[in-house]
Amino acid sequence: MFEFIVNYYNYWMYIGLMMIGFYAMMAKRNLVKKIIGMNIFQSAIIFFYISTSVKKGGATVPILEYAHGHATHGIEHGANAIDVMQYANPLPHVLMLTAIVVMVATLGVALAVVILIYRRYGTLEEDEIMKLVRRG
Amino acid sequence: MKILSIIAGVLMGAALVYGSLDMPKWGDPHSPASTHVSPYYLQHSIEHTATPNVVTSVLADYRGYDTLGETTVVFTAGMACLFLLGKGRKRQGK
Repeated sequence: MFEFIVNYYNYWMYIGLMMIGFYAMMAKRNLVKKIIGMNIFQSAIIFFYISTSVKKGGATVPILEYAHGHATHGIEHGANAIDVMQYANPLPHVLMLTAIVVMVATLGVALAVVILIYRRYGTLEEDEIMKLVRRG
Repeated sequence: MKILSIIAGVLMGAALVYGSLDMPKWGDPHSPASTHVSPYYLQHSIEHTATPNVVTSVLADYRGYDTLGETTVVFTAGMACLFLLGKGRKRQGK
């Protein structure tokens, strides 16, 4: 039972983060708090992907050791010179770099729109804005 | 409204926890994600791109077109912020 929890608790942590972000996006009235919720949601997804690249048993960051030294000659004799189990999976890192860029882009545009809304209505509370919109 | 949001969030969390039980164990070196295609990149990165950092070689070499699209995303977002916030010239005749 304890081993089961140790094997899966990281996924549950990210699910908890995701629930917090989802709740903030739906239930909070303040627009900035909604944006913060969106960021928490996206961060949970990024943590999840990064956690799939972990390899237990001495795996480190995917930067190849002695890549430009004498040991490079070993590569000429075949690809087996590089021990794959020694390095973490690089692909989730790359994909999440792209995802972080998209996250920053959405955050920037959302904050710009929020600034415009504040200039137009003088408030960031959703119900007050809706009241002002209905009044015309 | 708050109750509805809590119910929706908890339902989503329960579905995800149910799905997480089928995931590979955390840190398993033989999980599908680390045995399918990533060993190829780790083994051939040096001879293909001469870059010790595999993340960099995949980002800028193997997936160069993806990174080009990524810069387009950043550019578009930057232009959107500029057009939204910038004062801009006033229209003629108004």
